[in-house]
Amino acid sequence: MPMVTRPQFLPDLPNWSRKTFFAVALAAICFAFAFPVLWLILTSLRPESGVYYVHRGTEFTLINFKDVLAQERIVHAFINSAVISTLATVFSLLVTVSSGYMLSRFTGPASRMWFGTIYVFRCVPYISWVLPLYFVVQSWGLYDTYIGLLLPHIAVHICFFSWLMKGFFDGIDPSMEYAAMIDGCTRWGAFIRVAIPSALPAISALAVLCWLFTWNEFLFALILTGNRVPVITVVMAQFVTEMGLHWNLMAATAVMALLPAFLVALFGQKYVIQGLRI
Amino acid sequence: MAAISLNKLNKHYGSLFHAVKDVDLEIADKEFVALVGPSGCGKSTTLRMIAGLEDISSGEIRIGGKIVNHLPPRDRDVAMVFQNYALYQHMSVYDNLAFGLRNKRVAETEIRSAIDRAADILGLHELLQRKPKQLSGGQQQRVALGRCIVRNPQVFLFDEPLSNLDAKLRARMRIEIKRLHAQIPTTSVFVTHDQIEAMTLGDRVVIMRDGYVQQVGTPLTVYEKPANKFVAGFIGAPAMNFVDVTVRGDAVETSGLKISVNPAYARALQPYDGKPVVMGVRPEHLALGDGAPGSSFDARVEVVEQLGSEILLETRAGADSITVARVPAETRIAPGDRVKVSSQLSRLHFFDPNTELPISG
Repeated sequence: MPMVTRPQFLPDLPNWSRKTFFAVALAAICFAFAFPVLWLILTSLRPESGVYYVHRGTEFTLINFKDVLAQERIVHAFINSAVISTLATVFSLLVTVSSGYMLSRFTGPASRMWFGTIYVFRCVPYISWVLPLYFVVQSWGLYDTYIGLLLPHIAVHICFFSWLMKGFFDGIDPSMEYAAMIDGCTRWGAFIRVAIPSALPAISALAVLCWLFTWNEFLFALILTGNRVPVITVVMAQFVTEMGLHWNLMAATAVMALLPAFLVALFGQKYVIQGLRI
Repeated sequence: MAAISLNKLNKHYGSLFHAVKDVDLEIADKEFVALVGPSGCGKSTTLRMIAGLEDISSGEIRIGGKIVNHLPPRDRDVAMVFQNYALYQHMSVYDNLAFGLRNKRVAETEIRSAIDRAADILGLHELLQRKPKQLSGGQQQRVALGRCIVRNPQVFLFDEPLSNLDAKLRARMRIEIKRLHAQIPTTSVFVTHDQIEAMTLGDRVVIMRDGYVQQVGTPLTVYEKPANKFVAGFIGAPAMNFVDVTVRGDAVETSGLKISVNPAYARALQPYDGKPVVMGVRPEHLALGDGAPGSSFDARVEVVEQLGSEILLETRAGADSITVARVPAETRIAPGDRVKVSSQLSRLHFFDPNTELPISG
């Protein structure tokens, strides 16, 4: 049997120098990603007077975190962000999963129309949604409310993630659902009892992505909310004041904001990889 | 009683594609019928319409005398084995087997005994707690069969269930399905593109092409008395040899080949005297040597395929008549040899070149 050899990168280099090249390249990439986060963490641990020479100071403190947590508005923002992210994930998944299933399994006019609608909305640049959404939310009296921020998020998720979900369902053999229908299920029954459990890794991946997307979202939150529903991304930006920039507080808030996202990514990573492989 | 009756069954996909055309078929209770044909001939669509997975465009389907045209699959009391097994990946083998019965709200003790019986028949006891992903292809197919038999349905439907298995396993599963049908005689419809599967499994074989049923008959009937040239060429492996010949009295000839026909054929071929017809002869009805007077022709061996149990010879007689002959394995022969090939005159087939219908002798 002929040996199958994989084409090598930089085949002319000796083995040790190729290995060194990859090690250096990997280290450089990791550093490029990790450096801003490390700098942020360092800044959050420095007193206000030390934020401009983080690299030189030796004085570290947790006072920034204490100051931040003492501000009721920031605690509210954390709670709001968590609630909105979770609700947006749950509600958008409810629609996205069935919408992706429909796009994957049905070819009728309704499915084609839905596909076209999503396609058009996906083509529209994200930023151009903001102004019309502001007017709609304002005219419906939903400005600066949970629902006023939730609905646009859900709409965006449906447009963006229905396609992903369609791809996942395309990768799942429909004969399992046919077998379930012959075994006594209705079409809905086959969807709920067979298709959804089979797509669970993908749904978990989507849940992680949805949650992180909402948690990190800034633009909608900035335009569609005011003082009543502060969210963490907007509150963080508000440390830039006329009186100056509170780098230390902003960094402490950012580190805290990073933490849930980090945990979700850490524990959800397995599902994201599994799901995206379907 | 679970006879199946298809009456003028049609399936259109939009206005462009007519997949199944006026299919009439009566399948008796407990009969095993194999639907066979090339890809796109409408066999799987027909099966899916019987299962209720595909709407019918017109016609009528009866199962056990009852019209089921508009019944959903779950109310037709059929079970189906799919090409890729279609096992529920997130459930254990036991739960896969129990799924249909649980939907029928059968008591868990009854489910257990039904699964035990099925596991006995198919040797599944060891596998019951495993997930489908942990099983080999053959084991998955046995579980898929088990899922059908635990429900004790009126009808078994098989949609190319052996296509994903390797040749050896396919042969073994074929025997297992045959034995299963003997043990649990249930009306069965088996779709395959493999004519050997169809011939070995089916009490009757239905050959389809382009949405039409070409012939329905026992394996021996479709082999010996094909309804047209397509069936003749489709059934049998290696395929029947077709040679364009011209009728000359009580013989047929083409360049480098002249064969006498027996009196029965000669009568049937009389109207074609001087005209072209298609002669069909199966490789197993050709032999090396002189044979009966007027039955042989000279040929040159082009390819020798030694199969161990036999040899397939590709021979050329004249300019363009290539025939495949099946000869004993011990025959000493090499490409380029000149040989005499004789045919069994009573096993020749003749077809009208325009209608492709047989000219019966």
